Amino acid sequence: MSASPFEGVLSMLIRQRGVQGCMVVGEADGIVVDSNVQVGIQSNVVAALAAALYRKARLCSAAAGLSTVGFLQLEAERGHICAIGRDGLVLVTLAEPRAHIGRIRGAMLESLSVLA
Amino acid sequence: MSEEIRRLSEELARDPSSLVFMQLGEALRRAGQLDLGLKVAHRGLERHAHNADAHDLLARIRVDRGELQEAFDEWDMVLRLAPSHVGARKGMGYVLFKQGKLSEAEAHLSTAATQDRGDSSIATALRMVRRLLRYAHVAGNGHDAPGHDDLIAAQRRVEEEARELFADILGEGEHTALLLNADGLVAAGLYVTAEGEDVSQEVGAALTGVRDEALRAVRHLDLGAWRAVVYETDLATVALAPALDESMVLVAASHTVPLGFVRRVLDRCVQRATTWLEEVE
Repeated sequence: MSASPFEGVLSMLIRQRGVQGCMVVGEADGIVVDSNVQVGIQSNVVAALAAALYRKARLCSAAAGLSTVGFLQLEAERGHICAIGRDGLVLVTLAEPRAHIGRIRGAMLESLSVLA
Repeated sequence: MSEEIRRLSEELARDPSSLVFMQLGEALRRAGQLDLGLKVAHRGLERHAHNADAHDLLARIRVDRGELQEAFDEWDMVLRLAPSHVGARKGMGYVLFKQGKLSEAEAHLSTAATQDRGDSSIATALRMVRRLLRYAHVAGNGHDAPGHDDLIAAQRRVEEEARELFADILGEGEHTALLLNADGLVAAGLYVTAEGEDVSQEVGAALTGVRDEALRAVRHLDLGAWRAVVYETDLATVALAPALDESMVLVAASHTVPLGFVRRVLDRCVQRATTWLEEVE
């Protein structure tokens, strides 16, 4: 079986400080295409919720006339969800509050081409 | 006819004494079929004259039809049947507010807020009524019962305050801010397009859905309270953050404005909105 085209990107993202998991998800169905997560992280749940959030932001933005959504970050008391999408796929990262979001954002923007 | 309405109609036809008429009446009300909803509620009440929720349904249909006094009378009946019915208090407060009877509206909403502390829409309405009352008293030089002109002056002052709430924070920059209540309605701020069109309500209604998804995500992933959602589009950076009473602040800035600056503006707008909302407890 050949290696997943997302393996390199996911390996790079999981090494960022505070990242608990990262995955490539189908935006429409929220199903995991490939993932790299720490033990205890339920990738299926994260994937479904992050994809739904990204999809909603994209649809709401279009309705508000704000064009295509790029990078999205949800900041919460006990963590962050970052997402960026292209061609029906979303790259999702789940991170701890201590994570360096600037670096994660940069890495995710650089990885966008892999979703094409 | 929607599938739900069809199903409920069939169920009611099979058992005309069933309480399903309340679900059917509500579904018709939500679908805007108010004449039909009114008929269903009346027929149901013929069999269930002492059901407080059925009278509440009738009152809500009356309000949607613009029949404020009839709605008020119906809610009055609800309170006789169920003295602690929060929906009736809330409804009566709304009608009295629309009729300009602010002190009476405040009394009903205050009772409703005490009975249901979790309903942010009551808290929001109560704050608005109290703010209007305060400004009307000022306009009327402190007289006990503000007159019609005082109420209009108070209304204007609230509208102006709301419109200008974030103006000094935003300055002449390429960004805009809105305070949206729990239902996504614009409570303060302004969203004007480059063409000068005010699209505050449309943008507010559209972006409230993002807040709902964020809430769902943090709840299921046990991430605690959400603090912000920030996303970038080809045209703008959009930042959302929660404020008092389940309201939300939205800042949108040109995509050329740095992300960190947008976040800073968002924090200041949230602080301003909280202070403004808390002025009237």
